[in-house]
Amino acid sequence: MGLKRDVSLSTGLRYRGPGGYLTFILHRIGGLGMAVLIAVHILASFIGGKLGAGINNIYENWAFQAFVFFCALFHAINGFRITLLDLFPKMLEHQSEAIWIEWAVFIPLYGLCLYVILSTGLGG
Amino acid sequence: MEVTVKIFRYNPEKDTRGNYVTYKVEADPNDRILDLLEYIKGKTDGALSFRRSCAHGVCGSDAMRINGRNRLACKVLVRDVGENITIEPVLGMKVKKDLIVDMEPFFDNYRKMLPYLINDSPLPENGRERLQSPEQRARFDETTKCILCAACTTSCPSFWASDQYYGPAAMVTAHRFIFDSRDEGASQRLRILAETDGIARCHTAYSCTEACPREIQVTKAIGEVKMAIMTGKID
Repeated sequence: MGLKRDVSLSTGLRYRGPGGYLTFILHRIGGLGMAVLIAVHILASFIGGKLGAGINNIYENWAFQAFVFFCALFHAINGFRITLLDLFPKMLEHQSEAIWIEWAVFIPLYGLCLYVILSTGLGG
Repeated sequence: MEVTVKIFRYNPEKDTRGNYVTYKVEADPNDRILDLLEYIKGKTDGALSFRRSCAHGVCGSDAMRINGRNRLACKVLVRDVGENITIEPVLGMKVKKDLIVDMEPFFDNYRKMLPYLINDSPLPENGRERLQSPEQRARFDETTKCILCAACTTSCPSFWASDQYYGPAAMVTAHRFIFDSRDEGASQRLRILAETDGIARCHTAYSCTEACPREIQVTKAIGEVKMAIMTGKID
């Protein structure tokens, strides 16, 4: 007897975890984003013709590119942090600092990517 | 000051789902959340159910979600969380009543770690204790502080996904024995932790370390066990 234990996505997202929890969520969103890109790309190549070209337009769209860049860059940098900390567990004492460094690397890099995407996509 | 306390309520005899009940309580900023719960139970609503025992952060009975984070009700003061306080049971375990959860899956996972000293070697010649240097003791000192409150395990997204996952608290227990120089069961424990529901499910969300009321570096302990599994070495 008892109320079931399932934790819904919305309940999980409302848990007020620290910085590491936010990166955990963004890491998964990043992975899913890249999976969507690859799936759409494969689908477009498989179908070909006008429909394939139409699907191509989805991921060549500047907004989609900005999203995918976010996903890929964040996933890569966060993955690098996790790998480093897994290899040197003593550094896990400085996990919070590692997360700040991660953001300090990610934000300017992504800002630059975003600038290039927007100036190309919107500037013509 | 008057504080508003919103508490998750669930009565298995009447309710099919939980609901929230709000109470207005006169409190001092230095009151603990546990004091508020005791006050509500004593003066307003005697049916309110929650676990508590020592009330001094040692027994680990009163882990709950306070304003969205896992904490011990006896260690959090009103001034730390403000005038609007939401109290809910920890996530990932069945709610038995109000703030009381079923801890059995948690302790099942704890028991899987063989949480006792394994040493079949004969006793030292003098027949007395197995000696250990201060450095050897310091190697696992941190993980001896665990009070099994489950705050870490129930803050872990991997545990929310599956209660088969051993969870951070079980791994802290494993760490405590694996790195104990007197223990000879490390290889058994490492084998158990290398299983599907073991250490590979830790994705370094770091919630466990933040949730620990004893300030144990849980993620670091898990990291050291991961490294021991990878290298096969305990140093």
